[in-house]
Amino acid sequence: MNDFFELIVSATASGCIYGLLALSYLLMTRPTGIINFAVGEWGMLAAFGGFLILSWLEWPYAAGMLLVSVFMFGIGWLTERLAVRRLVEQGAPPLAPILALLGMLVVFRELVSVSFGPDPRPVPAAFGFGRLELGLLAGSYQSFYIIVITVLVFLGAWYFFEKTLAGKSFEAVAIDRRAAALMGINLRRVMALSFAAAGTVAGLAGILVAPNVSAHYLMGLPLAIQGFTALVIGGVGRVEGALLGGLILAFAEQFTVRYANVPPGLAMGVPLVLLILFLLLRPTGLLKPKEARS
Amino acid sequence: MSSKLLQTSRRSVLALSLVLLGSTAMAQSASGPIRIGMITDRVGPAKPYAEPVAAGAIFAVKEINAQGGLLGRQIELLVEDDQGRPDVSATAARKLVDAGAAFILSVSLTPATQQAQSVTKETRTPHMTPSNGGDTLTTQVDNANFWQTGPLASTQIATLLGYAANKNYKRVALITENSDLGQLTNRFFKAGLEKAGMQIVAEEVVPRGSTTAEPQMQKIRAAAPDALFMTGVLIPENALMLRAYRQLGLKVPVLGNYNLSVPQTSSVAKGLLDGVVFVDAFDPNKPETKRFIDAYGKDSGTEPYNLNGYGYDGVMLVANAIRRAGSTDKDKIREAMQATQGYVGVMGGAGAKYGFAPGRRTGFDTNGMVVRVYEGDRQGRVVHVGLK
Repeated sequence: MNDFFELIVSATASGCIYGLLALSYLLMTRPTGIINFAVGEWGMLAAFGGFLILSWLEWPYAAGMLLVSVFMFGIGWLTERLAVRRLVEQGAPPLAPILALLGMLVVFRELVSVSFGPDPRPVPAAFGFGRLELGLLAGSYQSFYIIVITVLVFLGAWYFFEKTLAGKSFEAVAIDRRAAALMGINLRRVMALSFAAAGTVAGLAGILVAPNVSAHYLMGLPLAIQGFTALVIGGVGRVEGALLGGLILAFAEQFTVRYANVPPGLAMGVPLVLLILFLLLRPTGLLKPKEARS
Repeated sequence: MSSKLLQTSRRSVLALSLVLLGSTAMAQSASGPIRIGMITDRVGPAKPYAEPVAAGAIFAVKEINAQGGLLGRQIELLVEDDQGRPDVSATAARKLVDAGAAFILSVSLTPATQQAQSVTKETRTPHMTPSNGGDTLTTQVDNANFWQTGPLASTQIATLLGYAANKNYKRVALITENSDLGQLTNRFFKAGLEKAGMQIVAEEVVPRGSTTAEPQMQKIRAAAPDALFMTGVLIPENALMLRAYRQLGLKVPVLGNYNLSVPQTSSVAKGLLDGVVFVDAFDPNKPETKRFIDAYGKDSGTEPYNLNGYGYDGVMLVANAIRRAGSTDKDKIREAMQATQGYVGVMGGAGAKYGFAPGRRTGFDTNGMVVRVYEGDRQGRVVHVGLK
């Protein structure tokens, strides 16, 4: 029984990471329709930022995390500015910015590989990895920290979209770009902000997961796949769907490994099976977009 | 002078010029550099392991050239990047053969090295891996031109079993990740453990890119093994396993493969390694190793470790073979390499020697590995040497 409650904490923490990455995808996809598979590499950049500032320069954790977040905000903005804006404004086919962003993925990864070399780098945890027991639930300090930060991020995202004018403008652009533009919403600013916010969120995922997995130049692709799968499961229309998708994916992964009597190789296929099932049976995800509800 | 005589004179001069030119070219090729090719992985999944091995090889070439070269000629190291991909590795091998490489070293992934053999077999080009440990590299392809001097996975497991023999382990668990080499290493570990009469009570895989290894380690905890063998080769996933092991409060002895000897492990898995036993091929107290550590450190400004040593020994073994062959003729080099006996390199414990038994092309001394224990985060003392 201990295993069960320990696994709840572990799966929730992993689900939060996936959820943050799914949110990063969603922040860009909703207003622009662009899927940016470089979110994993954004997480990787932030992980290396964490290594530089927290391990190498040994800054205090809070200051380091804030600086990395600001850096990733800038990276997101720069990515939109360099790889996306001109293509969108010139009416390029929808595939063009996606391909450009795939190119950015390679650029980021190789820059890091050349700058830091192939070896993984350590990133410290915010409060270490000591064990915390809350009633039946038990896990590391880092797991609980990930959960708390993720909840705060999603609450912030919910508040932004539900209660602020800027958030409403995002929704308006997502529903109808042309109408939103005619209503005076600055599409450029919305797009730039969406990428910048997505960069920050993906960066948070990277710096939160890095103490567990270390910072290494190949860490981006698995993160991107996990985040995308979570997005597909949860649905691209709702912020809370991203978190739900991440949690479902992580719980399915970890509880299958722990309790299903299947060979380890087959248990690894669970995320991909889920992805295929949802794409076939419920391509809009679990939670429908708000405009689809009466 | 008649036109016929003029024509004959011109032809004679032309013929003489061509002969002189050819002689000059031949003289230049005999005195030009000796080309040795190296196929590495600079961008793919083997990069963390291939690049340090390549660095050791480059240092070896530098050292030989500084001492006058090989057969009076400088060595020119031609480096190709196969990205860890078998198809690209074969193309790289072809390119090196066409560039005149007298010998090719492969330091990339095992499947890539395997594929490159298709070219070296066809072209009868001497070819060696100084670092791959896959047991099937010299057996799946019948290539008399290929040698392997990295310690075999079977040697690693045999050395660890030699250490574990007096510990009376009956029920053991295995944990690895899903890379090609991790799976291959796990297979050989499993076969060796079962042959030694140990029962495998749990066998878990942590997929590359996982964010935790807790589910797998929970299953291992539930199986209550006497010991846990870590057979994975990827540092991030190994760190995840060790973190889960500590987090879940497991106390069973952990025995790791040689990948736990890579120094970056103690950097990434800080605080997680105390008491972990691992197999290694690097004894820093051996005289040859001490000299290498000193020389490499002076040259590069960084302290070398075992992976650098593999590359260094690889080039030195090739140079030794070429010296004994007395030429860059491929057939002569092949004969000389196969006849290698008693070569003491940087790698291997005290007394270990490289050599190829008749009919075999694996050259790492089966008694050459050591077992060490982590003391805190530091790679500590040698606790066992060889197979027994």
